[in-house]
Amino acid sequence: MKKQTSQKLSRATTYFLLTVGLIIVALPFWYMLVTSLKPQSYIFEMPPKIWPTEITLNNYLTALRKDSFGLYFMNSLFVAICSTLATIFVSSMLAYAFARLDFPGKEFLFYILLLGMMIPPVMLIIPQFIIAKQLAILDKFIGLIVVYITMNLSGQTFLLRGFFEGIPKEIEEAALIDGASRWKIFWRIIFPLSKPGIAVVTIFTFLYSWDEFPWAHVAMKETTKRTLPIAIALFQSQHLTEWGQVFAASIVSLIPIVVVFIAFQRYFIQGISTTGIKG
Amino acid sequence: MKSRKLFVFMGAILALSIIMSACAPKVEEQAADVPTVVDESPAEVETITEPVMITYWHTMSDPETEQIEKVITAFEAANPGITVESTRFAWDDFKPALITGIAGDATPDTARMDIAWVSEFADQGALMQLDGVMPGFDDIADGTFSGPLSTNFWQGHYYGLPQNTNTQVLLWNKEIFDAAGITDAPATLDEFATVACELTKGETQYGYALGGTYFWAPAPIFYAMGGEVVDADITTASGYVNSEDSVAAFTMLTELFNQDCISPNLLGGGIGTADGHATGLYAMIVDGPWMVDIYKGNYPDFEVNFAPIPTGTDGSTSSVVGGEDVVIFEGTENADAAMKWAAFLLSEESQLTMAEVGVIPTLSSLIGNEALPDYFGVFLTQLETAQARVPHPAWSDMDNAINNAFQRMLNGDQTPQAALDQAAIEINALLQ
Amino acid sequence: MELLLTKFVKILKKSSTALIFLLPGLLLFTVFIIVPMIYSFRISFYDWKIVNPEQSEWIGVENYLRALSDPIFRRAALNTVIYSLVTVPGQMILGLIVAVLLNQNIRGRTFYRIMYYLPVITSWVIVSLLFEYMFSGQAGLVNYFLRDVFHVTSENILWLADPILTFVPIHLLGIWKGIGWTAVIFVAGLQAIPQHLYEAAEVDGAGSKEKFFLITLPLLRPTTVYLLVVLTIGSLNAYISNLLITNGGNPMDLTHFILTLMYEATFTKLDFGYGSAISYLLTMCVFVVSVFQIRMMTKPIEN
Repeated sequence: MKKQTSQKLSRATTYFLLTVGLIIVALPFWYMLVTSLKPQSYIFEMPPKIWPTEITLNNYLTALRKDSFGLYFMNSLFVAICSTLATIFVSSMLAYAFARLDFPGKEFLFYILLLGMMIPPVMLIIPQFIIAKQLAILDKFIGLIVVYITMNLSGQTFLLRGFFEGIPKEIEEAALIDGASRWKIFWRIIFPLSKPGIAVVTIFTFLYSWDEFPWAHVAMKETTKRTLPIAIALFQSQHLTEWGQVFAASIVSLIPIVVVFIAFQRYFIQGISTTGIKG
Repeated sequence: MKSRKLFVFMGAILALSIIMSACAPKVEEQAADVPTVVDESPAEVETITEPVMITYWHTMSDPETEQIEKVITAFEAANPGITVESTRFAWDDFKPALITGIAGDATPDTARMDIAWVSEFADQGALMQLDGVMPGFDDIADGTFSGPLSTNFWQGHYYGLPQNTNTQVLLWNKEIFDAAGITDAPATLDEFATVACELTKGETQYGYALGGTYFWAPAPIFYAMGGEVVDADITTASGYVNSEDSVAAFTMLTELFNQDCISPNLLGGGIGTADGHATGLYAMIVDGPWMVDIYKGNYPDFEVNFAPIPTGTDGSTSSVVGGEDVVIFEGTENADAAMKWAAFLLSEESQLTMAEVGVIPTLSSLIGNEALPDYFGVFLTQLETAQARVPHPAWSDMDNAINNAFQRMLNGDQTPQAALDQAAIEINALLQ
Repeated sequence: MELLLTKFVKILKKSSTALIFLLPGLLLFTVFIIVPMIYSFRISFYDWKIVNPEQSEWIGVENYLRALSDPIFRRAALNTVIYSLVTVPGQMILGLIVAVLLNQNIRGRTFYRIMYYLPVITSWVIVSLLFEYMFSGQAGLVNYFLRDVFHVTSENILWLADPILTFVPIHLLGIWKGIGWTAVIFVAGLQAIPQHLYEAAEVDGAGSKEKFFLITLPLLRPTTVYLLVVLTIGSLNAYISNLLITNGGNPMDLTHFILTLMYEATFTKLDFGYGSAISYLLTMCVFVVSVFQIRMMTKPIEN
């Protein structure tokens, strides 16, 4: 009897703490939403209102109509999906090699790869730009995609290597004896078993490619091919920031990542607990 | 199984976006085809030129962007075979984009850049010299105001043309003034200081507000008080940035700030001057001609009132010259077309088109033109006495030195004299 | 010689399968990371001219010395280290609490999980602008709460005008944005702990406190070290929030991070050599710190 009450109590505490935390975490978002519904003249009202007094959808209408917002949205979606699929492909192959195959300099190569997780991407922008220019991939979607794959490579390969190492070797050994090639094993056996790991990679890579600003800003000068973060940056004018529009555009831009997260989050935890993180 | 559905879903979106983005270039291709057709028409046989596309980067506002598209259409009609592709950048991100472009040898053909940057980029060798190269340069240059033109001059040559000019004047909120029984904007800086404190009501109303501590914000009052940054030959700041007049200007601002007659927003993280002025928080601000269109869009009921910058001790007014120059980048493959475009931007026709949205022309022939908006009058008058910031490659560092000095004064770390003495030393180091 | 060649061919043959798997990844990595790294390393020894690189002047380690003796750089390094020391433990402690709470069998777990993860998936630019707006010194939401709702202060606090107070929004942002991600990783770690350990402990009469400190925490060690490494790297490499909130080191260049300083040198002052030197100094620090932490991480596996 006593145990039950204490359990109930601890359960109540859990909900209480989680909800308090939730309010703290969500408050800025709520405020962003409220602000996006205010006309400019109410943006700096005193005292600030947590509840909108005068709701207007004008910010959304103006923001979405501006500078072919819809086109930029689709561009971003295209780039993010391509980068994600390609990263899954490239980094899972790398990870498989590091997890299962033998080759000289394996450990050294792996450490070099880890270096990619440590460097600040912004320091590479100018050299990357020079290379991209020579490869003639500036102002093209492919120019964004290859760099996004590369910037995600280290982290995702590290995760997937751990994941592959967790798959029992016996499964492959049986197939090897049957004469299957490594290539076949990888695609037919390992890859289908790795859904949770791939879900993790998908969430991380999609997020990165969707939000990336500095590279997209310099590498994509063609107006019709720009991505969403650049469109949002353009809302900040030199003389007056239209906060309502900035936040309206931001909220719209959040939708795809939330969708991706909700879609893959079921595998997310499972994926992480079986990837490289646990050691 | 669910994951398979998701991949199908992602694939569908992917396909859709491929189609969407594939459509966009197509439209462009068709557009690019048009001049080719014109080229083939018999009338143009004389000048069979390859159709060229030139790029033009800028940081224009929404209404300005709309207008420049009209200018481009007119240019393309007048120059068959040349198309202009304009790309807009956010102000904060423009310089990084230009610098990366230069480093990677992927600069635009032309750009509209801040007048304070031209000497810096020219000094790096990134800009094309225009005098003696561009056809008709002398005529075009002669037709422009000399102040804005001078910002293109670096070490004996011109590296751009003044595309537009502007300056800051006083904006005063008539409602606040009326409520206090004051009928007109202050005429002298003494009056200005008195009025600023008279119109201050604790935290609900400030007499005056500056947009920040960077030189652009205090510059109008600084120059009106007779302040100077360096000597005419740009060799030293000693005795200039820390001269009696310069110190007096910053002393006045610091004192007003200490009396809470200036809003604390200038230190960062407050309500912007444009919003605060329209909502009745700031009685006076200084700002430029673009405010008319910005207020039209965001505060349609607000009535803007301009007045000249109040006069200093010697009875004369002054302000700071702003604006942008059109430049052509070194190494462009389309120099001829780019020069035509630059010349077109300085034509009366284009200047008048841009003027519709508050962009002040640089052509002296347009003074008094009836097509110009009425409120340009006060700006054009102010421009007669306004001064340019130091045309030197290290200007942004000098700006930072003054900015930090101003911050030290406002913080009470140093007296204006001591802070500006230090700034003089820092600026002198940059001039060597 | 011939022997060496045949040996080489043999190795190549043996690792040809591996080569196929490695090729696309390593190619991209070399072209877009290794080569750029070498390039900017070279530049860090020059007074680099961006327009005419061939005219650049070799100045040895002067860029590095200049950085190390520059008070603005030192202050930036201090700010970066403090940011790291505040936000990494902050994220880990709060993330662990959230993870433990979320790991129970509660209703609406998915909902909570998504809500806590929302800051993680929002771009740095957006949340930085949001915090700047909320911490506005005049009509900001935070001042409103502190002054009018909780009466903690009688005057508006000018958060962004003060070289110390500016870091309140920056640090809070860093923690707030990372809790969700840290919590998710901890939840994964918690779920990997075999349930029977807890059951056995319960039989031995252990309370929830003992279970947490004797089972959960020690078994979470690999997860903790992983988070420590990744969060430390992330915090040392942070710059967007600072760039947007302090607007380039305001006030008085006292609020830079190392990377904002690098950004300013490279992208607004055209001082590419100096910018590269700064980023290499940072990379070296990050490298040393992470190798030290990775050593800690790999140890239990060898045992």
